[in-house]
Order: sequence, then structure tokens, then C-alpha cells
Amino acid sequence: MIELRDVAVSVAGRRLLSGINAGVATGEFVALLGPNGAGKTTLLRAIAGLHGLDSGEIALDGVPAAGLDPRERARRVAFVTGDEITFDALSIADVVAIGRFPYHRWWEWQTRDSDASAVATALAAVKLEGLGDRLLSTLSAGERQRVWIALGLAQQTPILLVDEPTSHLDVRIAHEILILLQRQARAGKSVLCALHDVNEAAAYADRIALLSGGKLCALEPPQSLLSGSLLERVYDIPMERIALPDGGLRVLAYDAAVRVERPAPPERRSQAPNA
Amino acid sequence: MKTLRGLALLLAVPAAGAASMLVGGTPLSIGQILGQLAHPHQAAILNTIVWQLRLPRVCIAATVGASLALSGAMLQGMLRNPLADPYLTGVSAAAAAAIAVAVLAGVAVSALPVIGFVAGLGAALLVAAFARRGSGLDANRLILAGVSLSTLFAAIVTLAVVRAQSGDYASTIVAWLAGSMAGRGWHDLAIVAPYAIFGGLLALASFSALNALRIGDVRARAIGLDVDRAQWLILGGSSLLAASSVVLAGLVGFIGLIVPHLARRIVGSDARVLLPACVAIGAAPCMLADAICRAVVAPAELPIGVLLAFIGVPTFLYLYLHPVASRASPG
Repeated sequence: MIELRDVAVSVAGRRLLSGINAGVATGEFVALLGPNGAGKTTLLRAIAGLHGLDSGEIALDGVPAAGLDPRERARRVAFVTGDEITFDALSIADVVAIGRFPYHRWWEWQTRDSDASAVATALAAVKLEGLGDRLLSTLSAGERQRVWIALGLAQQTPILLVDEPTSHLDVRIAHEILILLQRQARAGKSVLCALHDVNEAAAYADRIALLSGGKLCALEPPQSLLSGSLLERVYDIPMERIALPDGGLRVLAYDAAVRVERPAPPERRSQAPNA
Repeated sequence: MKTLRGLALLLAVPAAGAASMLVGGTPLSIGQILGQLAHPHQAAILNTIVWQLRLPRVCIAATVGASLALSGAMLQGMLRNPLADPYLTGVSAAAAAAIAVAVLAGVAVSALPVIGFVAGLGAALLVAAFARRGSGLDANRLILAGVSLSTLFAAIVTLAVVRAQSGDYASTIVAWLAGSMAGRGWHDLAIVAPYAIFGGLLALASFSALNALRIGDVRARAIGLDVDRAQWLILGGSSLLAASSVVLAGLVGFIGLIVPHLARRIVGSDARVLLPACVAIGAAPCMLADAICRAVVAPAELPIGVLLAFIGVPTFLYLYLHPVASRASPG
């Protein structure tokens, strides 16, 4: 369970989040939406302890996060991000095993049985079992995203934060990743996942948190958010509603008033008849 | 396979040490050397050759190789930059500049190692101060500050060499710059040992941090690593090791750059096995190279820095241009 009370965050002297009050329940999948620069990643990083708070409080499973040391915090919350490149020839198993870091003191160098089983469980959850020896550099974008999620799962935390896991992925792989996250929520984790695609959020999340300009504008079920006009105001673009046979809603962002016409093809000159 | 690799690395160090002990102006058999090592007071001349000339050289070469390789592996791991070497933080350039100026000023040769050591560590601190961001270090700033200050110190060395051309000073400076262990003995090793050992202990303390940093600073923080503290630990350890090596042998290039690459190919990037492997792979070739330097133009000596550059450049290019095809499993 994540609880945010009046959270404000500044980065490099610039206030990026203010007055955030929200909660993610145990077993709930909340999608974090908002335009670029709205503060989605900043919020996830603040919960993960990568940014300090200007004010407010974050509680992780009822315990104030401010009082936790980094390893203790990492045993409660896992942060999955897809950026950054490593130069080492790391295998999938190498990467996922690093997720066991919070369970070791700095002088403990031996792998325990519990580490091996956590890594195996994480790899099975992302359907990469048996591929542990493959190098990270040989994987596709979708497979790499699974590895980063497995790294977070190996931490065995009750809270999972995921930053834009479907960017650059095709629809099939994106669907698999989101189902995987949904399954984690159903297994009892609190999942907070930043997404760019409104329809992905509507299809997989229990609730959607909408950020704009560093403030939380809404935290409600997809159906109610998509049926109102708030999304259009926040993204500043008209949206068509599409009703699904099961009663669900999806949106299509499309501004018919703004259209760049193709230039007319140059007129062909008729050939002058030979004299 | 893992055990075989470990055994081979473990045996490489004593084998290279033994080979190095055999090389010198006076031909000695293995039996004579072993006898002298077991019973140090058998014969005065043999005792001097084994205990005062060859053994300290072998130990110094091993210390230099191991220190540079460890230092390079730590910096490459921290910066996640395969081109980082122990001299990146300006340790060697500052030591060179300080020694060049000291030689010009007529400072006694015996005082030069200490001056180089202090200047080298001072430069590392200066670079760290420039690279400081918040309570941690910025990798890009560290590289920029290190390269910039190294260029400045190199200019000071050049100026000193130009000024020194009229006297015998130039050859002293150049000999030191080329990297050499000629004339070094137990006394030099005793001065450096506490710092090298402390640097080694810092390396030992940083293995879990180095492992975590393989997935990037952001993720390392997210899994509970205090990245800022780890950076200071790694930088401190690698600077102490690099400065120790500079004091013992001057500028010995490429060991700190190539050995970590080579070690990663053999044992993988897990710091628990990478760091010990670097010690073995760094020490053994350095001992052999020192032996070759003593043998090829005897009774004179070839600078070890020059020999290692001749071997190191093609090796580095080969390693860098031929990436790992398959995973080397750790251990």
C-alpha cells in the first residue's frame, strides 16, 4: 500500500510536484497518466526514494518512508525503469540477481538459496525461465523490458513502481507487459505504473491517476475519467469516445480542425504540337 | 571449467614470479633460488641477489600490476566507461609534474616517490572536488576534470623537460615518465605498502557496490545502494592504488586499462570474481614484463612502461574491436 500526503518535490531548485494526496491499495493496479513533463517519473522516483521531499509524507505499507534506510526501503518498493545502458556483458540472470542486493549486507558476498529461488521465480513470472545465460545486449526491447521487471520482482517487494514500460513496444508486447503487471497486482502487490497511452491505462488499470503541471487532477476508475472532459483539458486536444461492446470506453485523440493539407501536384503542361 | 580458470589464474602468479626470479645478470637455478629463500644466510652473494635484488623487484612488479588492474577495474565499474584507466583522475599526471618540478629544484632522488604520491593523491582530491554534485560525484564531470587537469600537468612536465635539457635533469625526468622499477627495493615497497593495502581493503569493501552499479546509477539507488558513499569509496580506493603504483614504477600504462577488459572476458563482470582475477592477471604479466626489461638489454634496463605499451596497444585494440561473442560465466 502506498500513501502520499501533501507531497511536494523539487529537482534542481524547480518545483515539479506539489500537494499530491493519493493512495494505491494492496492488490491494486493504478496507471499514472499525464502529458510530458507533468511529473509522472518524478512522482515514481520520489516514492522509490530517488528524490527527497520538500514537504509531505510518503508511507509504504503504513511505515513512513523517511525513516527507512535505502536497503530497507528497497525491500518494500521496487522501481522499474527502462532507460540507461550498461557496458558490461551482463546476462539476464546476472541482472535479475542484482535485485537481491537489499537482502545482503555489504560484506556478505555469498549467494543464498533464497536468492536463487527469488531469481528463478522472477524469471518464471516474466516468462524468461531457461534463458538466464542470454546476454542482455542480444535481447529485443520487449525482452529487455521483461528483464527490468524481473529485476524488480526479484526484490520481492509489496510495492512495484514501473516507469513507462510500454514505450517503443509493439501492441502485442505492450499487452503482454501490462498483463504481467496486472497479474502482479492480482497476486497482492500495489502497482503504480506511468503510461503514455490513455487506452492502455483504461484497459488494464483499476484506477487512473492523472497528473498535470505537477498536480494530481484526478484519481478515479477509467470509465469515469474517460467519460468526462478532464482528459481533453489536460492534454489540450479533442477526444472521440469509442464505446466497446462490454460497456468500456476508449478514446481517440484527434483534432479535425488542425490539418496540414498536401500541396496540390504541379499542373502538367500540355506539350506544344510540333510545328 | 570455472574451477580450471580459477586454478590457472591462481597458478599464474607464482609461476610468473618464479620465472622472473630466474632472470638476471647472474644465472641461477631454481634449486639455488629455493635454497636461498628457505635458508637466507647460506651465501652472502646469493643472498644479496635473491633477497635484495630480485625478490623485491618481483614483489614490486606484482604490487604495481595488481594495484593498477584493481584501480582500473574499480574506476571502469564506477563510471561504466570501458576507457577509464587509473590515471583518469590525474594521479599520474600530477605526480609526474610534481616530480619534474622537484627534479628541477634539485630535490634528492630519494624524496621523489613521496612527492609523487602526495601530488597524485592531491590531484585525485582536486578532481573529486570539481566532480562533486550534491553529496555524490558526477561521472562526466569527473572525466572532464581529470582529463583537463592531466593536460595542464602534462604541460608542466613538458616545460620542466625543456628547462632541464641543459643539465642531467632531463634524463631523470624522462626515465621516470617512461615507467621503470630500476633501483627500487624493499624500502620503497615499505613506504607504499600501507597505502596499497588500504586501497586493496577499500576495493574489497566496494565489491557489492560495483556489482550493483553494473545496472546503472538510477537502478542501483533504487535497489538500496548508497551511490554517493559508494562513489567516494571506489574513488578513494582506486586513487590510493594508482598513487602507490606511480610511486613504485612511475608511469606504467595500459595494465589498468587492459587487464579489467581481459579479466571480464575470462571470469565475467561479477566483482566477487573480477577483482581477484584482476589482481592475478595484473600481477603476473607485470612480473614477466619486468623480467624481460631486465634481460633484453642487460646490464641496462628497458623501461617497463615502454614494453607494456608495445604489448598493450595491440592487445587493447584487439579486445575492443572483438567484443565478447558468448558469455563468460563467473567463477
